[in-house]
Amino acid sequence: MDPKLTEVSQLFERFKAACTRDDLNTSTNQLSQLKVLLTGFRSLPPLFENTPDADKELTIARDVYEHAVLLSVKIGDQEAFERNFFQLKPYYTDAGSCLPQSPQEYMILGLNLLRLLVQNRIAEFHTELELLSPTALEDPCIKHAVELEQSFMEGAYNRVLSAKHNVPYKSYDYFMDLLAKTVRDEIAGCSEKAYDYLSISDACQVLLFPSENELLEYIKEEHPEWEIKNGSVVFQKAKESAPCKEIPSLQLINQTLSYARELERIV
Amino acid sequence: MPETMVSSAGGLLAMLNESHPLLKQHALYNLNNLVDRFWPEISTSVPIIESLYEDDEFDLHQRQLAALLVSKVFYYLGELNDSLSYALGAGSLFDVSEDSDYVHTLLAKAIDEYASLKSKAAESNSDGAEVDPRLEAIVERLLDKCIMDGKYQQAMGIAIECRRLDKLEEAIMKSDNIHGTLSYCIDVSHSFVNSREYRHEVLQLLVNVYQKLPSPDYLSICQCLMFLDEPEGVASILEKLLRSGNKDEALLAFQIAFDLVENEHQAFLLNVRGRLPPPKSQISEPAQPKSTVPDSSQNENSSAPEDVQMTEGTSSTVHEPDPSEVVYAERLTKIKGILSGEMSIQLTLQFLYSHNKSDLLILKTIKQSVEMRNSVCHSATIYANAIMHAGTTVDTFLRENLDWLSRATNWAKFSATAGLGVIHRGHLQQGRSLMAPYLPQGGAGAGGGGSPYSEGGALYALGLIHANHGEGIKQFLRESIRSTSVEVIQHGACLGLGLAALGTADEDIYDDFKSALYTDSAVAGEAAGISMGLLMVGTASEKASEMLTYAHDTQHEKIIRGLALGIALTVYGREEEADTLIEQMTRDQDPILRYGGMYALALAYSGTANNKAIRQLLHFAVSDVSNDVRRTAVLALGFVLYSEPEQTPRIVSLLSESYNPHVRYGAALAVGISCAGTGMSEAISLLEPLTSDVVDFVRQGALIAMAMVMVQMNEASDSRVGTFRRQLEKIILDKHEDTMSKMGAILASGILDAGGRNVTIRLLSKTKHDKITAVVGLAVFSQFWYWYPLIYFISLAFSPTAFIGLNYDLKVPKFEFLSNAKPSLFEYPKPTTVPTTVSAVKLPTAVLSTSVKAKARAKKEAELKASFEKTAGAESSPGATSAGKGKASNEKDGDAMQVDGQPEKKAEPEPTHEILINPARVIPTQEKFIKLMEDSRYVPVKVSTFRVCSLERPATNRARSAFSYRYTFIYSITRERFSHRSARFCIGHGS
Repeated sequence: MDPKLTEVSQLFERFKAACTRDDLNTSTNQLSQLKVLLTGFRSLPPLFENTPDADKELTIARDVYEHAVLLSVKIGDQEAFERNFFQLKPYYTDAGSCLPQSPQEYMILGLNLLRLLVQNRIAEFHTELELLSPTALEDPCIKHAVELEQSFMEGAYNRVLSAKHNVPYKSYDYFMDLLAKTVRDEIAGCSEKAYDYLSISDACQVLLFPSENELLEYIKEEHPEWEIKNGSVVFQKAKESAPCKEIPSLQLINQTLSYARELERIV
Repeated sequence: MPETMVSSAGGLLAMLNESHPLLKQHALYNLNNLVDRFWPEISTSVPIIESLYEDDEFDLHQRQLAALLVSKVFYYLGELNDSLSYALGAGSLFDVSEDSDYVHTLLAKAIDEYASLKSKAAESNSDGAEVDPRLEAIVERLLDKCIMDGKYQQAMGIAIECRRLDKLEEAIMKSDNIHGTLSYCIDVSHSFVNSREYRHEVLQLLVNVYQKLPSPDYLSICQCLMFLDEPEGVASILEKLLRSGNKDEALLAFQIAFDLVENEHQAFLLNVRGRLPPPKSQISEPAQPKSTVPDSSQNENSSAPEDVQMTEGTSSTVHEPDPSEVVYAERLTKIKGILSGEMSIQLTLQFLYSHNKSDLLILKTIKQSVEMRNSVCHSATIYANAIMHAGTTVDTFLRENLDWLSRATNWAKFSATAGLGVIHRGHLQQGRSLMAPYLPQGGAGAGGGGSPYSEGGALYALGLIHANHGEGIKQFLRESIRSTSVEVIQHGACLGLGLAALGTADEDIYDDFKSALYTDSAVAGEAAGISMGLLMVGTASEKASEMLTYAHDTQHEKIIRGLALGIALTVYGREEEADTLIEQMTRDQDPILRYGGMYALALAYSGTANNKAIRQLLHFAVSDVSNDVRRTAVLALGFVLYSEPEQTPRIVSLLSESYNPHVRYGAALAVGISCAGTGMSEAISLLEPLTSDVVDFVRQGALIAMAMVMVQMNEASDSRVGTFRRQLEKIILDKHEDTMSKMGAILASGILDAGGRNVTIRLLSKTKHDKITAVVGLAVFSQFWYWYPLIYFISLAFSPTAFIGLNYDLKVPKFEFLSNAKPSLFEYPKPTTVPTTVSAVKLPTAVLSTSVKAKARAKKEAELKASFEKTAGAESSPGATSAGKGKASNEKDGDAMQVDGQPEKKAEPEPTHEILINPARVIPTQEKFIKLMEDSRYVPVKVSTFRVCSLERPATNRARSAFSYRYTFIYSITRERFSHRSARFCIGHGS
């Protein structure tokens, strides 16, 4: 076996061990080394050269990136997640034909969908969805994400929050927590528009907080502009609403008339 | 394993955000390879890549890689400026030799950028300091690469455009064919360098390079020096060649002299002559065959600059028998004869006379069909006759029709007399005596017997005879101006003197014109205005503003028009230098001055195809309020474009469909002028519909223009020539045709058969130099709209289509050469049906055995001699001139005998060949088929292998370049050189 490949697999083993130990620092460093080593293989994307060990290399590289994705979830680093996922993606899409399917594939795709949902990137979410095969759509991980999105769009926020309790994998928890926050932000945004003020208890209910304290905490962090007055939360809607711009009708009429006049002249 | 391809650059783009530099590098490297496919995806990440490029911590190579990547993305986005600036950042990673659209586009962009920076810097006279050194480096890299790959022409083109004369020199010196490269370079500098000043720099450099060569190409050097206007340089080269012991070198000097003469730059030639040093010892006076100059002038104008016979001062000194000095003196005499232009004129004259094939029947038909009382057509016929016989000295038609001729009165008489000048054009020796009966008598004013009209016409005729070679006649014409107060005579004398002193910028003559102008007589003033321009042509002299002031003062439209044209002539060929004046004229309130402004544009940018000038002219052509100005603006396009005749039909095609007849007329003449003598098919197609236009003067213009385009073509080369001839005949015979178009048809018949069917109209010499006389001639000719006598100026534009080989004694020996094409392609048009006195016996084309030719030739020869003797006798001047003639013809006989003695070669030439005998008619399109016989005794001067027979000869000729054919006039030189050269040009323009 190619010594480089051996080196990579040994390092990968150690990296996996570090991951399971939750030794984040070591694993991050090792991951970075792994990636550098992987750039040495010419069989990997984007070159896809047909080297003797291509299959093994591709497989190990895919595993490395899958672990990298999971690691970033563990660390809670969304950017790293995105980065790793994009690097992983060619192994699923382009190299899919020459590798056996990875057992983790749907799980990771689901995670990614979830991430897009959390980041409220709905357009990209649907783009990704369109790229998936019908079988993939049947997978519980994907289904889960799709259902969440539907609830989210319908405004059935309570269903979104309750879905937290039946996640297919443990790694989904991180995103589910974030999703709750996203949902809350949505609600807060709507409330601002919809109400001038809400009583604190109503606000708790609307924003799905179990207690007033959490509500106050949330307001302090996310919406310092809201005021608490007389046991109500007062939104600052009035201040924000800019006066609707007047339609410059007179000017438009004038212009149109002069166009007409000039057209007549030209002809 | 199936071919696997990535479907997205997303993964690599994500990698750019990784913290490890090796990963970034890996990503950059791969992206760079994939950018052609994934640039849309990458473009969204350009900011990230840009920041990598700007990241100082990154190592240089990677930053350059990032820059290259960004540059490529910008290239795909169409942002060439950004793309270029990043490509510069990419340093050596930007590979100039890569064969991709990206690299080609960016290189072109870089060169454009660099060239425009350099020219801006050059124009503002500041240093090129603000030029980005990286940009410079790229361009240099490219240049070096071109030079290394042997793409010298490309390198030279770029170097010239970028004003990198150092690189230009390097490219030339390193090329494997230095002479070829140099001539390519000269060609390029004429056709593509727009700024006059810079062109001079380039040429200066070329001269330097030439001089460094072990075997300098003196011909080319001298051409360059002429452009640079450095007579000293030419004179010293000529002297060197003349003093050489080798006869070949002397021959070369003669050839150079002929080439220079062909460019018709009178003032320059005079300067060269003046600077040739006299021999150290004296030679006997008779060796100067000064008989060519009319004797009267010889006494009168010893102070004139041409008379460089300083020999006279030393004539009484010792006769040192230094043989080399004697040889030098002898050669000097010869070369001065050539430089004076007399040699060429004489040869032309003999050629035109002996080969005259004009068809008197055509004239007769015209004469009979024209109504007696219609004076316009009557004088048009006289014009046509003059043009048809221009330079042939054949005035049979006039002599046979004296009665008819006498119907011409007043100005018609003036033109009839002046027509003699056209017929005898170049007849320097006898011109004066020929015209004597008509000239004002006694110099004491109008006291003479003749009418002022014929006297004025005679003076004008003298000018035409001596056009551009007026040393001998100037003095006489000046006296005529001063001694008369009759405006008609002043008119003739002014035009005559203007022609004779063309371009000499002589202050005294200018004063004469000025006093004629200040009489404020319309007729004399107009001629004076034009003549001032003729005198000052191309000098950009201060006098222009003086003329402009007077044009504002005077009330006479004629004078204003004359002056306007005169001012335009002064800026001839000055390009940007003339811009202020042009601006001033084109903004004037007076339409006549704006009209002059159009001419100024036309002449200042003549033959440059300058885009700015074209744009301006097109603008005036559609926007000016005066029809005259619009017409002239369109017409002026013809002058600007004559160096690229293929362009003209395209540019004016829309204008030729204008609703305004003046614009259509202008379009017709523009095509006529720029495509003159080319027979170009597009030009003919454009003119055809115009010849049946609804407006009479448009038809007139179109007929004339068509004749100019078709001159010397026969039906074999384009069937439309025959159609056109029949159309002319029909118009002339049609009783109901308008006078205007009838006149056009008559003139067109004249032009079509100009000069006994042996001349064409040509505005460029073989070295692509403008022929000043020709351009000026056509410019003034186009004034015939206002003043018919100016029609005669067209004769200045005629060049004989002759191949004349000369030997060392400057005699015309007999030898044969080959025309490698079917004779029928180039033969004379068939004479009109009824047999006439003209002995235009055309030999059946296929069977051209030399003996038949020789017989025909001998017959002609005899005729020639006889008639020369006849004229000489008849003209009652049996002095030195006719003696000289007699001698010449004797020698010719000698030559002829020599030839007869030779065994006949090439028994049965194939029908695709034709053997011609020196001197012969060789029309422009035929030029490329001409070859000297392998076993001929003569070889062209400029070929390296000289023959044993000592008589090599200057075969003259006009070598033509392959891509725009012009034609062939040869005063001395070599066919072979010609064919080499055209081959080179092909290569040059192919790549």
